[in-house]
Amino acid sequence: MTNALEVKGLRKSYGEKVVLKGIDLYVRRGDIFALLGVNGAGKTTTLECIEGLRKYDGGTISVNGRIGIQLQSAALPAHIKGGEAVRLFAKWNRKPADTSMLAALGVDSIANKQYQAMSTGQKRRLHLALALICDPDIVFLDEPTAGLDIEGRISLHEYIRNLKAQGKTIILASHDMAEVESLCDSIAILRDGEIAFAGTVIALTEKIGKHYNIQIRTGQGLETYESDDIRASLITILKSYEEKDTIIQDIRVDRGSLEQHFLKIAKGE
Amino acid sequence: MNGFLYGFTLQWKLDLRSRTMLITCYAVPLLFFAVMGGIFTSVMPESKETLIQSMTVFAVTMGALIGLPPSLAEIYRSDIKNAYQANGVPLSLGLILINISAFVHLLIMSAILYVLAPILFGAKIPEHLETYLGGLVILIAVSLSIASIIGLAVKDTANTSMFSILLFIPSTMLSGIMFPSEMLPQAFAIVGKLFPATWGYKLMTDSAFSLQTLCPLLGIFLIAVILCGVLLKRIRTR
Repeated sequence: MTNALEVKGLRKSYGEKVVLKGIDLYVRRGDIFALLGVNGAGKTTTLECIEGLRKYDGGTISVNGRIGIQLQSAALPAHIKGGEAVRLFAKWNRKPADTSMLAALGVDSIANKQYQAMSTGQKRRLHLALALICDPDIVFLDEPTAGLDIEGRISLHEYIRNLKAQGKTIILASHDMAEVESLCDSIAILRDGEIAFAGTVIALTEKIGKHYNIQIRTGQGLETYESDDIRASLITILKSYEEKDTIIQDIRVDRGSLEQHFLKIAKGE
Repeated sequence: MNGFLYGFTLQWKLDLRSRTMLITCYAVPLLFFAVMGGIFTSVMPESKETLIQSMTVFAVTMGALIGLPPSLAEIYRSDIKNAYQANGVPLSLGLILINISAFVHLLIMSAILYVLAPILFGAKIPEHLETYLGGLVILIAVSLSIASIIGLAVKDTANTSMFSILLFIPSTMLSGIMFPSEMLPQAFAIVGKLFPATWGYKLMTDSAFSLQTLCPLLGIFLIAVILCGVLLKRIRTR
């Protein structure tokens, strides 16, 4: 099995409401994979089923390796200190109680700090440290950089890349498309409990990549055009300005952000 | 040190850092003891005969019913249980460790009362130490098991206090520790028999273990343990 994760026909309902309608997912070993979708699309349910935290109604899930999980909604007792939490989880998993991983994550200061006094970013990194204690082959990260400042995001991204370099597979849920674009090898987009897109980030941009935004600034203001044939559109638009004898101050052409592409697929537009 | 032992020592430290546990296990029972011990022994000198037992029943009931549920609710009605489940720590660990730690705190508090009552108020040392100690251990275990049901069953932390108090007040008022059970109206005396404090107090003041007193306590304990198992399973199976 070269895939770290294989999900086939995963189904889950909450009462009458069908949340997952038989989804298929494959994540290659050593990849950074992102599961995307608008709120309520079924991301968290999918991840929780894969992580073994939630029962599912049908389908199969094959996870090839030890897993470590950093949940978005996780907490620890208010009075526990960072170092104590690392030691507790390490001892329970029969692993060395090594608090140096807090230093590796840039939060060695929380070893003697109570959980209730930690910042959101410090808590997130502590939970990441706990997820890595059992030296997992596959690491699940749910919104890993939510609540972090820019510096925190950059250093955490670097840490995630280091994990990949160590051969670990990273599966993350994120709303931050810049994060996904810079980190991920492959993605899947969930829409209404079904996979609307699965593939590489490059394939996603290519899928809708023929769509262009054209912005032209003149003395009268800014005008925006959309086009699927950039060459023909530009010729037509420029000709029309020439005919009107309007001086063009600035022209910008872009292929649209990954965020726009994502929203189009996720919302079925 | 293995995970369980480390977990126990850590829970012990967390309890000491938590104001709730210190207040309910030590501060309030000691204050109650200081005030009521003085009043009881001056108004009813014969209460010195059972002062250690009555103050101990109060301290155990309060520490267990008021002190334990918030600690359990903190874990099982919050995202802490997610962190436990996600990182390979059994969900039952919190329940077991908190109960063992609370058990030790309540034993310590009982020992303090045992030492101070004769010195401060001339209270009589229990004649039958084995029934007193046996009764104490059983009462603590049964009280903690009921407190565990509240901590696991109530859906939010605020409600735990309400349910705890609803059990605590009749436990102390109808158990015979404030005034003899014989003085209670019959209906109240019958209701009082539903609470472990009544049977625990009786056991601790008896001259010998009797099945008649032990059976209700063991029955309550058994039912509570089964209910805790069911509640834990419900929390685990989402």
